[in-house]
Amino acid sequence: MKTGYLALEAKRAMRSPRFLIFTLVFPVVLFLVYKGLYGSAKVQGTDITYTAYLMCSMAAFGGFMAAMSTGARTAIERSAGWQRQLRLTPLTPRGYLFAKAAVGMLVALPSIVLVSLAGVFSGVSLSPVGWVQVVVGVWIATLPFSVLGLLIGQLATAESMQVYTSGLMFLFGLLGGLWIPVTVFPNWLASVAKVLPSYWLADVGHAAVLGTHDLGRAAEVLGIWTLALAFVVVRRYQRDSARA
Amino acid sequence: MNEMSAPGASRHAAGAGDRSAVSAGAAVTLSGLRKHYGEVRAVDGVDLVIAPGEVVALLGPNGAGKSTTVDMLLGLSKPDGGSAQIFGQQPREAVSTGTVGAMLQEGSLLEDATVGETVAMIASLHRRPMPVAEALGRAGIADLASRRCTKLSGGQKQRVRFAVALVCDPDLLVLDEPTSAMDVGSRREFWQSMQQFTAAGKTVLFATHYLDEAEEFADRVVLMRGGRVVADGSVAEVRAAVSGRTLRAVVPGLTEAAAAGLPGVNTVEMRAERVELGCSNSDATVRALLSAYPQARDIEIRAVGLEEAFLALTADAEEATR
Repeated sequence: MKTGYLALEAKRAMRSPRFLIFTLVFPVVLFLVYKGLYGSAKVQGTDITYTAYLMCSMAAFGGFMAAMSTGARTAIERSAGWQRQLRLTPLTPRGYLFAKAAVGMLVALPSIVLVSLAGVFSGVSLSPVGWVQVVVGVWIATLPFSVLGLLIGQLATAESMQVYTSGLMFLFGLLGGLWIPVTVFPNWLASVAKVLPSYWLADVGHAAVLGTHDLGRAAEVLGIWTLALAFVVVRRYQRDSARA
Repeated sequence: MNEMSAPGASRHAAGAGDRSAVSAGAAVTLSGLRKHYGEVRAVDGVDLVIAPGEVVALLGPNGAGKSTTVDMLLGLSKPDGGSAQIFGQQPREAVSTGTVGAMLQEGSLLEDATVGETVAMIASLHRRPMPVAEALGRAGIADLASRRCTKLSGGQKQRVRFAVALVCDPDLLVLDEPTSAMDVGSRREFWQSMQQFTAAGKTVLFATHYLDEAEEFADRVVLMRGGRVVADGSVAEVRAAVSGRTLRAVVPGLTEAAAAGLPGVNTVEMRAERVELGCSNSDATVRALLSAYPQARDIEIRAVGLEEAFLALTADAEEATR
């Protein structure tokens, strides 16, 4: 019963012009621009070009934007009273949250794949395991962003939702080291970056490029973010349901 | 006006015997239902039993507690006291088994989905939905399936929401002000679709402001006011009470007693020479008035408005229970 629902939800999310611009076009364009600027430079202390490194950053950026803004769009549904209509179906609160988080991730996949393809056409070559880590690994790592989007969707109104997502886009994109590599950050800023989930999201890909497949730390940080956010979301949803 | 409380009461008396029998297999059973918002008693002890196959109109002015009652019946809010059951199930259970479908008052549609997708999305969540095309057909919007929900008229939107309510193939349909956004033509078409549903023996409870809708489509009318049921009777009974007319005139020399003695007069209100008569048969009253008081002038006869009927029914029902 759930697959039809998920497919339709994903279809809706992908239809929004905001989705197309921010999660499909924007990351690829940024990747190509950055690549042109300093793609041939080498990552500090290695023999690896920045092109591959940037590809991972932009895949992470597109992925988290897609996952986060999909969840945030539930703010619009809430304002419109659609959530009340959903409560007149067998969908449980837990099922609702699960479905929404899954849709966020489903929608994140195309943008990760698209940036990776742009990478392939730009001459990035990785081992098969490396590619799996970049595409599948980064994709799985978008989970906390999907949950974060849901939280925004529950807290924000249809109007303020855009402000929240744009603000977080800059915070995560800039300070997480996706737009500017953390290696050029001053030390204190680099420590800030390492608390943000976006840094670790990109790290899943970066690790593949740099040939270090140790993802323990990334899994740890992203796991903590996911659990903490999910806890808040469930609490918030229960209160929302009780009051309505 | 006193006539209303009598048939209403007799219905209660006559119904008392079979009511308990009915309540075992009742479509809807509300008992002692209460909901308070702070000091406001939105719903203040509602008892209601609806038999399967009945089409019941829930009437009442704004703030009467209709929507709050509907919300509790559907399990969207928890009662502070009493209980609600649908075919013997708890509200949430009835919702998840698809026993009840509902069209809520303020619900809107998804902006970024088509009509077909919207209905399909809800259908995909239910356990035994009817085919989406059938729901669209029954709601009279089969031709709108690929239309975006933003590009619909008010009446069309309501029909989409009707299809959403229908698609779980419910035994009970609950509609909260279903035609409030519709023009007269759309309302008529809407109720035609509804009649197909009720013809199949399904149960319908609808809240409305429009008395004519209640008269035309309901078997029974439940009138709420101040969070309570103040009248509960067949449509004929309510119509009889509401079809009275008010006669106003300036009649020099008429006394209050003489006015009350005119044929067809139920109530008398006098201010100097100006008289206002509540009439059950205004034709007879005006004939008698003119033959006895040819000097009567400024005669004006009009139908009792819905709000006045409500007030009258409410007052009567409260006196009757004392």
